[in-house]
Amino acid sequence: MAGARIAPSLSERVRAGDSRAVARGITIMEDGGPLASALHAAILPSTGRALTIGFTGPPGAGKSTLVDAFVAALRKSGRTVAVAAVDPSSPLSGGAVLGDRIRMGRHTEDEGVFIRSIASRGHLGGLTESIHHIVDLFDASGRDVVVIETVGAGQSEVEVVDVADIRVVVNAPGLGDDVQAIKAGILEIASILVVNKADLPLAARTVRQLRAMLSLRRDGEKDVPVLETVASTGQGVAELLAAVLALGASAPGDRQARRRARIRRLVAESAATLMRRRTMARRDPALLDLLAQIEAGLISLDEAVAAVISEGTKMPDRISDQTQVAESTHEPAV
Amino acid sequence: MSTTSGFRPIRVLVTKIGLDGHDRGSRIVAAYLRDAGMEVIYTPPWQTVAGVVKLATEEDVEVIGISSLATDHLIVPKMMTALRAAGLDHVRVIVGGIVPDEEKTALIEAGVSNVFGPGAARDEIVACVTSLGQDARHARINEFLEANP
Amino acid sequence: MTHTAIQLPLPGFEQAQGEWRADYSKQMAGEQPVRNRSGIEVQPLYSPRDWSSERYLDDLGFPGQFPYTRGVYPSMHRGRTWTQRQLIGLGTPADYNKRVLRIIDAGANAISLLPCCSGFRGIDCDEVDPELLGTCGTVVNTTDHMDDALAGVPLGKISTAMNDPSPFTLLAFTLGVARRRGVDWSQVTGTSNQSDYISHFIANHQFYRLSLPGSRRMLLDHIEFCRRHVPNWNPVSVVGQHMQQAGATPAETMGFTLSTAIQYAEDCIARGMDIDDVLRRFTFFFDISISFFEEVAKFRAGRRIWARIARDRLGAKDPACWRFKFHGQTSGVDLTQQQPLNNIARVSVQAMAGILSGLQSLHTDAYDEAIACPSEETARVAVATQNILREEARLCDVIDPLGGSYYVERLTDQMEAEIEAVIAKIDAAGGMYKAAEAGLVQTMIGDSALAFQEQVESGDRKIIGVNCYQVDQDLTVPPAERPDPDAMNRHVERFKAFKQERSQEAVARALDALARAANSKDENVFEKVVDATEAGVTHGEIVSSLRRELGFGHPLIVA
Repeated sequence: MAGARIAPSLSERVRAGDSRAVARGITIMEDGGPLASALHAAILPSTGRALTIGFTGPPGAGKSTLVDAFVAALRKSGRTVAVAAVDPSSPLSGGAVLGDRIRMGRHTEDEGVFIRSIASRGHLGGLTESIHHIVDLFDASGRDVVVIETVGAGQSEVEVVDVADIRVVVNAPGLGDDVQAIKAGILEIASILVVNKADLPLAARTVRQLRAMLSLRRDGEKDVPVLETVASTGQGVAELLAAVLALGASAPGDRQARRRARIRRLVAESAATLMRRRTMARRDPALLDLLAQIEAGLISLDEAVAAVISEGTKMPDRISDQTQVAESTHEPAV
Repeated sequence: MSTTSGFRPIRVLVTKIGLDGHDRGSRIVAAYLRDAGMEVIYTPPWQTVAGVVKLATEEDVEVIGISSLATDHLIVPKMMTALRAAGLDHVRVIVGGIVPDEEKTALIEAGVSNVFGPGAARDEIVACVTSLGQDARHARINEFLEANP
Repeated sequence: MTHTAIQLPLPGFEQAQGEWRADYSKQMAGEQPVRNRSGIEVQPLYSPRDWSSERYLDDLGFPGQFPYTRGVYPSMHRGRTWTQRQLIGLGTPADYNKRVLRIIDAGANAISLLPCCSGFRGIDCDEVDPELLGTCGTVVNTTDHMDDALAGVPLGKISTAMNDPSPFTLLAFTLGVARRRGVDWSQVTGTSNQSDYISHFIANHQFYRLSLPGSRRMLLDHIEFCRRHVPNWNPVSVVGQHMQQAGATPAETMGFTLSTAIQYAEDCIARGMDIDDVLRRFTFFFDISISFFEEVAKFRAGRRIWARIARDRLGAKDPACWRFKFHGQTSGVDLTQQQPLNNIARVSVQAMAGILSGLQSLHTDAYDEAIACPSEETARVAVATQNILREEARLCDVIDPLGGSYYVERLTDQMEAEIEAVIAKIDAAGGMYKAAEAGLVQTMIGDSALAFQEQVESGDRKIIGVNCYQVDQDLTVPPAERPDPDAMNRHVERFKAFKQERSQEAVARALDALARAANSKDENVFEKVVDATEAGVTHGEIVSSLRRELGFGHPLIVA
């Protein structure tokens, strides 16, 4: 429907926790554009209540199985849960087989668990472009906890820091060079480190290595708990839940503060996306001149960025995709 | 991948209901649909009727593909009724597997869009799901939307 | 095992071969390589340079002699033909009984029982959508049901194969029936032909009931119990069928199956069982595809590899343990819904491959298997196919009649190398249990299934009536035989009444003993399963108790 807008009933039904409305809301968020913005604006006042927990880690660490066991523990504690499980889209076809439900079969019929399988649709960083909006939608729908499971493609999954209050980084013994698999970047974002498959022979060594790496970090960043789990039997999952809830209770401030922090992250993220898009699309002499000056060493990168931001805010509101694609492939003439 | 793009892949739930667990066919069909650019939600077998309704609701799929190699298609009519009762009458349903003729008729009468037997070709399946996916999307494209004043 | 070509002195051979090759190439310019399902390139012609008889005793031997390539018994089918074992099951126990008695009247000395799918899922008839009950197997949930199913069947004289995954309740019911009829358990013969839980975890999820560690424990308890109390029963059947049906190539299938057998044998050794006592009771169960020569080579190579594994790797000293005894079922995957009568031709070729490979027991599929649960009429044609091959084609006259063919021997060697490579891969992953747990096998099978399907889609692999020689006809699928809903309803009502009327105290006591055994290290859980069935505990109650104590079986599904 050209020029359509979101019916007020949608956000009302989302707030009431209506599954059909939440599901359709996610689809609208995934589609993006003005409808998604409008829906997000409508539900944002109702967010800030849910605790958001991200699970990330290398492939083979057992993330899905651990999320399954964790969700079971959350349900046992009486909390309602939404799960956003992200899997990669095929770069060739754009399609995807989303298989996270395979490990979470026992929750299918539980009304207290809402699972949405999400394709990354070409987005890098382990999540999907619309993940912030989707998490907010779950939050607004009244779920106590929102669990985000990343793609698990390796080391570039630090994006989860922006969307989750608590980040659980999952590793397992014997994945290549042990902790190397999660060394670069991803360790830094962990609120909790988990060594899953702790019944494997090399588990103790992996735990030791992780603790040793933590001890090299600055005070205040050393206190990251290192927990052992066997997700397939549920061993250690109660301890993981206790650790998550303890962090949740001590996480910065109350509901209001958390909500503000998330809105701030969202604004930062959206602003960056917007500036990137506009800068890539600009063909005006002022920008080309600026680029030439950086290349010639006449101004610093920081100075140029300040100038680009100041000018970029005056650019037109939206630039069509066609323009963007056509022009961003073109090297700036210097 | 653009936030402003109106295009999105068709979403399909590929699942099995009832008692049988053979999944060679459903795995291959899932791969076909993925390679045709669709997003396939793949589940364990042995879903109940209520389970399929909840899956289809949460995943907001346009098409459900039920694989039935034994006799599990016999509870598909119950599933169709439950989908309608849940307000998912726009969702199109196909069944793949071994279905005797007179029971195939019963499935079509219950609202199933198509029944594929063993040996159905990839192109045939993909074309059917594509067209059903578009139908389903069209049938509900305005849900929760209203015209600008 | 690699075989070096032996260069027999054959004056003029090379020149003649060179001339033939040149003539052949002229006619076949631009020919693409031909590969079998296992990926082995098949040559247009084989000759004494591909295989010669100088390694005859090492690699083939005589029938009944190590390494059994030509057959596990000296007289093979000339002495005793294969067992005709048609898998049946439908409706209520009374429905099953009617059909099984007709089969016995027709001369069968072996029967099989296929339970209702709800039984495979571990649930009783009062917990199932009534539409599904008994539609593809018989509803047997108690010893009474088994007694009805086997009414008039002379237990102790007839071999019974139970499609009975862990925790083996059907065998427990059968033993209860034997006790009621005064038949000594040592007289009871047959096979638990679905005891291979690893194959269920990987490729037949419907049969997978208990967690991997729970199933592992249960199988060992079952083997120990049978060795002690039911000595003529085969407690282990290692099943390649599910994996080949799921898409594994014939070579992969044989490799996975032998790796599974190694896993079970090593588990028995670790449990302290005598390998010579256990291994003699191992049997195998395979799919026979229509890839005729490849299947023959698969089975001949499998026999040879198993003999060496059993003797050299597992250390069995009794030659009975070295014999690779297998049941074959013609592959339903090769059958088509299009032009279903064509399937009779397919089943004949598949059955021929199995018979000429020296199988011990055979099920031929009915021609409507791809479109329905077989009717009595189509099942009769399937049995007739076996009789025609034996009596009219006289396939039993000569033992291993394909042995010595340059092609068959060369292909047997090549399949052997492929199979051994698969076994090595599984060994490197820590054995079959671990390889399955990690999803390695599932991924390999999925890749092979997709590759095969792509060959069909592209037309490189032709299937008559599907991607070539189609005829313009409406696909008609004959009416399926469905159980009488009223009779099934009465069966369920009687079952509910039975549950009300039995001694609840005895049931509680038996379930308690079962749970305690499952949680102890040294008690035999299967013994408690047998006790429980005697106390009137049902199939569903036993499975659900053991799922609680030993872990629910979630198969590892790889999308």
